[in-house]
Amino acid sequence: MNTNGKLLKEPTNEDLMRQVANGALDQLKVLFERHHAHVYRFLYKMCRDKMLSEDLAQEVFYKVMKYRGSYNNGNFVSWLFAIARNSLHSHFKKNGAPTEDIDTVGYRLAASAAHEEDYSHLQRALDRLAPSDKELIILNRFQEIRYAELALIVGSTEGAVKTKVSRALKKLKGFYFEAL
Amino acid sequence: MTDENHTVDAIPAYLDGQLSPKEAERLERHLQTCESCMKELQAYRSLFNAIDEDTDPVPTPTLRNTFFAQLAAEKETEGTVSILPMPRQKPKAWGNRIWKVAASVLLLLGAYGIGSYQQRTSAAREIALLKQEELQAKQSAMLSLMENTSASKRIQGVAYIEAFEKPDADIVRALILRMQQDENTNVRLTALEALSHFGKMPLVKTAYIDALAMEKNPTIQIALIQHLVQLQEKKAIAPMKALLKKEETQPFIKEQIKKGLPQLL
Repeated sequence: MNTNGKLLKEPTNEDLMRQVANGALDQLKVLFERHHAHVYRFLYKMCRDKMLSEDLAQEVFYKVMKYRGSYNNGNFVSWLFAIARNSLHSHFKKNGAPTEDIDTVGYRLAASAAHEEDYSHLQRALDRLAPSDKELIILNRFQEIRYAELALIVGSTEGAVKTKVSRALKKLKGFYFEAL
Repeated sequence: MTDENHTVDAIPAYLDGQLSPKEAERLERHLQTCESCMKELQAYRSLFNAIDEDTDPVPTPTLRNTFFAQLAAEKETEGTVSILPMPRQKPKAWGNRIWKVAASVLLLLGAYGIGSYQQRTSAAREIALLKQEELQAKQSAMLSLMENTSASKRIQGVAYIEAFEKPDADIVRALILRMQQDENTNVRLTALEALSHFGKMPLVKTAYIDALAMEKNPTIQIALIQHLVQLQEKKAIAPMKALLKKEETQPFIKEQIKKGLPQLL
């Protein structure tokens, strides 16, 4: 028993996912509640399409449920975002890169200029990054995923990821203040 | 690398509180004398503030509803699987007297059963008529949902199959169309799973085999292979072997096939 005011400890993501893999499917609801907004936000930041983000987020949790047997007891958040990232990549592979025609860009810039200033600056700066840089920044700065987990998600080492994030951050800062 | 560069690079980590006290102190001392680094610090600080204040739209309730529906459907199929292999009890060498008691209890229950059955059948016929109408309404709702432009709506439509005990060929064909042609992977996958309830139908088996030849998505390929192996569909051997030969087939798909093939041969 803990005497220092700590009551029941919340089960970790990994505990829950292990239970799911062993057939306690209802625990997936807990994992869904904990993480679906983050997954959705990551997808939305990457593609800026609400409907697509929702469909892909759906796909991600469906895959978690369907392939629970292949969960290897590793870090759950890394596993989840690796799935999210794969879903996004294969979507763009199939439907072409998320390129926009010039009309849409013009419209969007006009629309965002009319809205909250700060938001549009930041988003515009983010959109100017290469997708791989943008992805790292979103995961690391917006989702607060640490380097070690980030390395698992993108299949790299902690050191390499750290360097990449720091370079991407520098670029982002450049774009951000250029736009101001 | 000059010392200057090193200091600049440490600024984000400093703002995140990730430097050791010693490193932080050194940086702070440097900042007091270096204007350009101080500017740099302020720039990162305002960028980080903007990131902290950034907001995004949140998902609609459809995301939760659809997922919970998929989860419920999954639990149901799990349930039927685990109920099936009930071990049959071996008859024990019971005494003669017990048989007599059992027989009389059976007789009693049987007589009661016949009486109540006769009462129930007429009511059942009326209910069946009502259900028929309800079923048609459900069927058209399902078919139209499956044509919706939003993938999550189409998934809802596909998942609606749970409402049918014995769907007719139109519904099954619509599901097959979703599994083979829908642009959204998740819709295809849900349709594939929904169809697995009717794996005994030759129509469905053929559809699985056709899909295996066309499908490019590894997740769905794996699911198709698993279902075909489970169905013991011998006609799947040839397309599986073809996939094995193809260079672009993912290695883990090949592995899945190698695992499955011996079970079919």
